[in-house]
Amino acid sequence: MNLSQQLINGLVMGHAYALVAIGWTLLLGVARLVNFGHGQMYMLGAFVTWWAVTKAGVPYALALPIAMCVGALFGVIMQRVMLKATLEQNLVSIMIMTLGFGYVFSGGAALVFGSTGEILDTALSRREITVGDLWMTWQDAAIIFAAILVFISLKWVLDGTRIGRLVRMVAEDPKLAMLAGVNVRRVYYGVFAFEGAAVAFAAGMVAPRTPILTSMGFDEVIMTFVVVVLGGIGSVTGSYLAGIALGLFTALFGALVSPAYTTAAAFLVLIALLVLRPGGLSAGSAGGVH
Amino acid sequence: METRRHYMALGVTGLAVLCAPMMLGSGVSVYSAAVLIAIFAIMAYGLDVIVSDLGEVSLAHTVFFAAGSYTTALLSTRGGVGSAWVTLTGAVLVAIGMAALIGFVTLRLREFVFSLVTYALAVVAMTIAANWSFLGGSDGIRGIPLLDLSIPGLTLTARNDRELWPYAFTLLALTIYLIDRFRHSALGAAAIMVHLNPRLATMSGIDPAKVRLQVFLFSAPVSAAAGWLYAYQRAYVSADLLENYFLILMLTAVVLIGRRQLLGPLAATALVLIQEKFFSLGGNVDKMILGSVLVAILAFFPQGLTGLARPLARMWTRRDARN
Amino acid sequence: MNPSEILALRNLKVTYDGNLAVDLNALTIAPGEVVGVVGANGAGKSTLVNAIVGWSRGTPRSSGEIFLGDVRVDGWSTHERIRAGLVLVPEGRLVFASMTVEENLSSAFSTVSAPGRRIYSRQEIYDLFPRLGERRQHLGSQLSGGERQMLGIGRALMMGPRVLLLDEPSIGLAPKLVSQVLDTMRTLAASGLAILLVEQNVRAAMAVVDRLVLLERGRVVLQGPAAQVGDDPRIAQAYLGATAE
Repeated sequence: MNLSQQLINGLVMGHAYALVAIGWTLLLGVARLVNFGHGQMYMLGAFVTWWAVTKAGVPYALALPIAMCVGALFGVIMQRVMLKATLEQNLVSIMIMTLGFGYVFSGGAALVFGSTGEILDTALSRREITVGDLWMTWQDAAIIFAAILVFISLKWVLDGTRIGRLVRMVAEDPKLAMLAGVNVRRVYYGVFAFEGAAVAFAAGMVAPRTPILTSMGFDEVIMTFVVVVLGGIGSVTGSYLAGIALGLFTALFGALVSPAYTTAAAFLVLIALLVLRPGGLSAGSAGGVH
Repeated sequence: METRRHYMALGVTGLAVLCAPMMLGSGVSVYSAAVLIAIFAIMAYGLDVIVSDLGEVSLAHTVFFAAGSYTTALLSTRGGVGSAWVTLTGAVLVAIGMAALIGFVTLRLREFVFSLVTYALAVVAMTIAANWSFLGGSDGIRGIPLLDLSIPGLTLTARNDRELWPYAFTLLALTIYLIDRFRHSALGAAAIMVHLNPRLATMSGIDPAKVRLQVFLFSAPVSAAAGWLYAYQRAYVSADLLENYFLILMLTAVVLIGRRQLLGPLAATALVLIQEKFFSLGGNVDKMILGSVLVAILAFFPQGLTGLARPLARMWTRRDARN
Repeated sequence: MNPSEILALRNLKVTYDGNLAVDLNALTIAPGEVVGVVGANGAGKSTLVNAIVGWSRGTPRSSGEIFLGDVRVDGWSTHERIRAGLVLVPEGRLVFASMTVEENLSSAFSTVSAPGRRIYSRQEIYDLFPRLGERRQHLGSQLSGGERQMLGIGRALMMGPRVLLLDEPSIGLAPKLVSQVLDTMRTLAASGLAILLVEQNVRAAMAVVDRLVLLERGRVVLQGPAAQVGDDPRIAQAYLGATAE
């Protein structure tokens, strides 16, 4: 096993995990909403991108925004249906509803796209960068670049713009934000639309690496969950670092032990941390994004 | 007086349900549907106490269900165990063991982290079930023998769904009885208090963590028993038992009719399975229907269908009063 | 309705879990007027001001008519009423703890000055409350109770209120600070702002308000100019009831 190559793989995967998790981080931090349909939205993003490129003949660079629009639309629809529960902070209902949505998405996708695996081929995924013994595809490089760009942009928006401030106000105290004249509902819609668009973008970027199936998405939810919890709920920087750490871990575990059980292993590491330091999670549970 | 009428009503309903497949033509598909309704309803009752009474969302009950099935399969095929009593005991013990482990790990976790952890457990369990050769890998375990609950002097076997039905019905009736007893017990009352007002519950001398654990330990074997029977009904087990279908079905069963309705999960499971078996629009469309029903109920009728019935009933009586 | 009324409430009823918490026939406030609402604990004072902006940390049901100027606002959502100039400074959580004073004093929306509607700039707030100016980069969580109260009022003023509702601004404040805050109310009213002040501290409120309203179990049992009504034994009872705690 080439250690350096595994580290490269780990870095690529880590950026992928971080990118997939960013929408979920914001949604959880701002609306305290757990979206169990996240994996299926990822799957839809991958398939819409694939369909746009393969069936509709749209260039990849255009397929991504299309997938993002579809994703954002689904996010808005979900939030509209769940609005009452969100405003009442009825976590039980929200969790079950997102599970239901995920199930509808998986059934719908199988209906529209079929149950066989497909491959999303892009120009970038076919060409490689080689430095001595080490290699990665241009797609991999694009993932790293995109992830870093998205994270920096989000941090800048949250900390430096008026919209970012509104989002942080709603994240910390939605009731008080109402009294400050913030249209909290619109913020919730916006954040869910971001989740939809972000996960679709991540899917469009990451899906070329492996075949896609309409039954996929579960591993993504777990990895996202691990990233978000490990990084601190609501912490943008934390998610990034946790994603990288998780990527390196899964690359090494997959190479040294077994590729089939990497998700299980990552999850067990999380469980161990939760058991040993349950208090570590309450940091940030007061609500808020940063 | 009230309780006696309550039990008489249940008794009559029970008798009607027992004879229903016979009345509906005794066809093979009718019995098969009846048995599956019973099995999945029992599975749902396990989740019902967690969601309706304790107020938490456990997504691990598919794991208990599968554990019940796999234990039964392993014991009866590789272990050569002939008596279904033994496999049932095994299934229950394994479920309690797993629930204890999960319970201790999630003891101090907040609601949504608890749900996420149980969800992840189910996904991980599926990976393990599909990959571990001990559990048959992606092929699963086949060749499970017929259900044999014989005791010395009395042969009690089931060769097909029609013969399986009385056993399924008995297990269902027993489960409903247990849930009813639970709701009238001290633990049941404590669970409601912890659900509605954990701080007040603590002030009343209740240990919320202990109550959660106990309810969890009570609910797991119920779902596992359903898995036990399912293994015999289907004659094989595989990783598909951990698919989302069972989870969504359970959740819908718990919320469709209304929270904490004793016969709610049974009626709801019947509705869903009847749609699937007799009015199916294709597997994927059925999936979309089931998922949409779950979302729609929680979004627009949070009290379930009974919440809809009450205003309708009021409208009806008002019309009568006017005439 | 009446041009001298900036806020008018009619038949306002608020129910919490089946209990009628507020049952108000009519109440009006004119621009530049300071009205004090007093009453014992549980009389419905907080519920009343919360209902005026259509807000609560719980889930009440309310009915009735609320007029801001001659516009009926009871069907509006909270943030719409706030933006129209009907502003509440709530009791308790007043600041965004994770943000600095400066950030807390940033508007969430843009609004235009109009006659009867003065939008205070951040510098004006610092002039009004120098303590806040000194601590502008401090986080909300680092402020004392009095500073948080000032911050809450400051943010409200930056939204250009036409009617300012204050829920127990003196709670937890030292007496000197209480009179400072209440004197500020007088100054603000002098420039045309209508103020509705809910107060437990009847004596402090009486010194500042033009009119006093006594609530008992959600109903108005006494109303009139502070000077007249101040001697009424029922007010004293409410005062005694408050201090007997």
